[in-house]
Amino acid sequence: MRPQSRISRRTAAVTVSLVLAGGLAACGPESGDAAKGAGKAGAAGAPQKGGTLTVLNNEPQSDFDPARLYTSGGGNVPSLVFRTLTTRNRENGAAGTQVVPDLATDTGRPNADATEWTYTLKDGLKYEDGTPITSADIKYGIERSFAAELSGGAPYLRDWLVGGDTYQGPYKAASDGKKGKGLASILVPDAKTIVFKLRKPEGEFPFVATQTQFAPVPKAKDTGVKYEEHPVSSGPYKVTANENDGERLVLERNPHWDPKTDAERKAYPDKVDVRSGLDAAVINQRLSTSSGADAAAVTTDTNLGPAELAQIGGNKELAARVGTGHFGYVNYLAFNPKVKPFDNPKVRQAISYAINRTSVINAAGGSALAEPATTFLPEQAAFGFTKYDHFPAGKTGDPAKAKALLKEAGHPDGLTVTLTHSTAQNRQTSPEVATAVQQALAAAGITVKLEGLENNAFNERRWDAKNTPGFFLSRWGADWPSGAPFLAPIFDGRQIVTDGSNYNHAQLDDPAVNKEIDEIAKLTDLAAAAKRWGALDSKIGEQALDVPLFHPVYKRLVGKDVKNIVISDWTGVLDISQVAVK
Amino acid sequence: MTGFVLKKLAGALLVLLALSLAVYALFYLAPGDPARLACGERCTPQQVAQVRDQLGLNESVFAQYGHFLQGLVAGRDYSAGTGTLHCDAPCLGFSYQNDRPVTELLLDRLPATFSLALGALVLWLVIGVGTGLLSALRRGGLTERALTVLTLAGTGTPVFILGLLLLMLVCAYLQWLPFPTYVPFTEDPEQWAWNLLLPWVTLGFFESAKYARLTRSSALETLAEDHIRTFRAYGVGERAVVTRHALRGALPPVIALSAVDLGTMMGGAVLTESLFGIPGLGKTLIDGVRVVDLPVVTGVVLVTGVAVVLAGALADLLYAVADRRVALT
Amino acid sequence: MTTAPTAAAPAAGTTTPAAGTARQVLRRLRHRPSAVLAGAVLALLVLLAAAAPLVAHLTGQDPNAFHDDLVDSARGGVPLGPFGGASADHWLGVEPGTGRDLLTRLLYGARISLLVALGATAVQVAVGLAAGLAAGLGNRLADTFISRLTEVMLALPMLILAIALTAVVPAGFPRPLLLILVIGLLGWGGTARVVRAQTLTLRSLDFVAAARLAGNGPLRIARRELLPSLAAPVITYAAILLPANIVVEASLSFLGVGVKPPTPSWGQMLSTAQTWFRADPMYVLLPAGLLFTTVLAFTVLGEAVRTALDPRESSRLRVGRTRGGARSRKERTP
Repeated sequence: MRPQSRISRRTAAVTVSLVLAGGLAACGPESGDAAKGAGKAGAAGAPQKGGTLTVLNNEPQSDFDPARLYTSGGGNVPSLVFRTLTTRNRENGAAGTQVVPDLATDTGRPNADATEWTYTLKDGLKYEDGTPITSADIKYGIERSFAAELSGGAPYLRDWLVGGDTYQGPYKAASDGKKGKGLASILVPDAKTIVFKLRKPEGEFPFVATQTQFAPVPKAKDTGVKYEEHPVSSGPYKVTANENDGERLVLERNPHWDPKTDAERKAYPDKVDVRSGLDAAVINQRLSTSSGADAAAVTTDTNLGPAELAQIGGNKELAARVGTGHFGYVNYLAFNPKVKPFDNPKVRQAISYAINRTSVINAAGGSALAEPATTFLPEQAAFGFTKYDHFPAGKTGDPAKAKALLKEAGHPDGLTVTLTHSTAQNRQTSPEVATAVQQALAAAGITVKLEGLENNAFNERRWDAKNTPGFFLSRWGADWPSGAPFLAPIFDGRQIVTDGSNYNHAQLDDPAVNKEIDEIAKLTDLAAAAKRWGALDSKIGEQALDVPLFHPVYKRLVGKDVKNIVISDWTGVLDISQVAVK
Repeated sequence: MTGFVLKKLAGALLVLLALSLAVYALFYLAPGDPARLACGERCTPQQVAQVRDQLGLNESVFAQYGHFLQGLVAGRDYSAGTGTLHCDAPCLGFSYQNDRPVTELLLDRLPATFSLALGALVLWLVIGVGTGLLSALRRGGLTERALTVLTLAGTGTPVFILGLLLLMLVCAYLQWLPFPTYVPFTEDPEQWAWNLLLPWVTLGFFESAKYARLTRSSALETLAEDHIRTFRAYGVGERAVVTRHALRGALPPVIALSAVDLGTMMGGAVLTESLFGIPGLGKTLIDGVRVVDLPVVTGVVLVTGVAVVLAGALADLLYAVADRRVALT
Repeated sequence: MTTAPTAAAPAAGTTTPAAGTARQVLRRLRHRPSAVLAGAVLALLVLLAAAAPLVAHLTGQDPNAFHDDLVDSARGGVPLGPFGGASADHWLGVEPGTGRDLLTRLLYGARISLLVALGATAVQVAVGLAAGLAAGLGNRLADTFISRLTEVMLALPMLILAIALTAVVPAGFPRPLLLILVIGLLGWGGTARVVRAQTLTLRSLDFVAAARLAGNGPLRIARRELLPSLAAPVITYAAILLPANIVVEASLSFLGVGVKPPTPSWGQMLSTAQTWFRADPMYVLLPAGLLFTTVLAFTVLGEAVRTALDPRESSRLRVGRTRGGARSRKERTP
């Protein structure tokens, strides 16, 4: 659920600005050959070292602390400064969904039941000040991410590490009154080795080790909440300026970074100048004009919106500079079967049949920015995508079939339901999408009342297990390209949270589903795991606990001098570590 | 005089206190759990509890407001993990979102708001007073008609429509200007001015309508006064009458109103700043509202309040000095 | 809006400056072409807004019906055809993305705009009148308290508080009513100030003093002696408030806290339209033009009413130079 997490709470703030942050708003190409399309974007010629890359962004990097960042695969700009035990493969398309070693020599060595993972650091790793990176620094980096002062990271380590659920970080005095207590489940037998002890099997641990919490932090340089102003670099660039709380970041070469230890980051430009706080419209306008420094500019957070896409239209020069990518993401209609009439599977099926995905996709920005979805899992092999369409609604819905089902369900004269949505104009959970659903269901005799809530209130409602609405718009994104972070939080009965944020909207607690989730977690053969995630998705789909609506597609512009654009299916957006401006 | 000022200040203080309490209480009631918002979307319940504790949200709203007031007078300490951060009085607290002292955050935002207000002020003084005087002198003519319509259109246009249409025309169709991006004056004065041109024109035109009307009516009042008639009768040139007397008569209310408007604008011209993406106080306020960042919201409202009250007092003084008929009571 | 309160004045049975002027005022208004034009525009708008369901029926268009076939899905949902997809069925074109009919959406939007603005103005005038009278007639303590409160109200950042209030109130509360109450209850400060100042002036006048000497209580004085004389300044002020309230409603909708979808509103249309100004300019120009025209017409009419009520043609209310005299000069439209 990464990109939506930190970003969505901030996108909310942008709703008033000129253009709604295309941020992570729905976007998407028509066919599966995004990688091919992506490779074509940008200027021609072999990439060369040198020059200054400008990054024009909407969201400031205000939490530039590896403990606080919630990233999928280590993030884009953060990944230039923070190296982690493992990282994502920086390649186009499906190849980019693989996890590869970064600071470590391999992606991790599990014990027999995948409850213990061991990593060995490469030789010659140094910080920006030339001091060596040790395994103890990685342990410390993880520990400080448990501090309340540095909240914001992903929840997996708290859940997985032995003792992680009660650990409160090194700053707070433990029960014996001593500060600086570490986590006993992370062992550092020597300066190069680090061992993680998990409370249950987790075959996908290497994916989590790509997140910035796995970046080394030298304890002597830790300044708590102030660390974000100048985090110590382990990557190809170091922070030389951080103005207005991350609104402007200047990154320059870290002379102690040795490219021989880093197969993933190309680091062509000499300098990276990140300017944030810009309107989405301004960013896209500047990229399309490409004058001056903007010719060598990219954005790492702003997509093209429908209006901009309409305007680019037939302009070949501009169209050639649009990169297209897929991120594992689904927008769906969620049911809470505890609320009548959604307790009746026939009612849920009727709604599945009635949905008009053409209207929904138009409301979400059109067919270039969203692809119809009938499965919960994104259409990517890494997720284990298995095609199914249990309640075929066709392109525009099947109101006749829906009416028949409603009759069987005891509602021959139709029925009235309430659909809860957000008032934020994100083209995902927004009023437009809700009204598209409303219109489609009207054809099947279902009167939909809309309940629009301010975005924070909306999120709190849908995550509140005790008070979840019966019928609402929801969305889910991948923390890493696999079925695990996609299906487990949504359908695992033991992940129903009653006193916090609950994502298992349907509150499904099916012993068979729970058992299968545990079984797959034991697999360290990711291809085998993917296959079973796909099968599980199809099986759960039969219950009509949700109606998948669309998978977004990302389209982004780059400046006219930008070369070597790599868009993986892991992030769906260009990888800044590969970009060249010469 | 001193008594008057003191009384004004005491009253102002009361108003500000009531204002900040009202804002604090209202947003306290608003949905959205600041702890959860500050913690991030996937925080575990324990983590949210820790963050709530750290932000002091476990206390009653009165206790929280008390700390806020205390910080204003005596400063505050804040846990930074490895140590504590101290925030000197007047401390507006720390942002829930990014742990920055609100005072520092607002000082960062002030230049943008100030830049916007300053340019708009110049425009509304030039356009507003100019048109107002002109229409006062050419009474009944076609000029006056045209000016009246223009000023009415100005007052009648919501600032976001004017801004939107200007963006559409100047940036998108004619492409005379790039889409505005705020550039600090200290970084590049020329770019600063170019990028602020549209926001200035938008806000300045919007405000100048009001000033034109005010100038016109004050000038008319002055021109109707007996001594002006006497001057004219004595053959004093029309130009001298206008510059020396009509303008002098019109200026006090214009200056007074400008002071009040500038004060209000210190809270940020919310819509203009949002429309043009100017990182000023108004945008900070809206952003803070969306994430229930109480210290930031209360901070901006208080700063605005202080600016308004100070400007109001200043306006009263200016007015009294300029127009001795008004007694200070 | 202009005649109702004035017409009520003679019914009070007293001969005051405002009484009997209703006809005069109307006559003066008739002689101003700009006022007549503005009035005609507004009459047409009100008529069309009232007849929105009829227009929808006549053109055969439901303002909320989607038309997927009228937009180009591959190009972000831009309407097919020139002028925003204008056609015999959709006279003003369709909305990008959804293909909803723009004409009917604009007319339904007018209903919301007018309803909220009128309602909010009524609330502002009622509360402002009550507060102003109480301050002007009450004892020193009441006056101080109300005047301070008025100052707070005037200093409040209205848009921000309105956003907070609309978020606090449960989603089930009828939205237009909520908007009326929020705008009305936050924006009465100006009226209260004008009324207080006017009341203070009137209080010292002979006929009010006579009434007081005759042993009439403050309530009776307010009703019989003051209200008729307050009609002129209050109507003048209301005429300034009304267009301002239209703008506030549009701004709130623009910021996303207005009426709920699918109910159309101009501000909300403008906020979705702002990205479209290059690909589909009609979508921006139509609601912008309509909002502009409406506000302008109300302003022109308000101006005309003011001059008609105050033939001396001074642009400020004649409040005299008593307590608050200097203040009233700085009166701002909220």
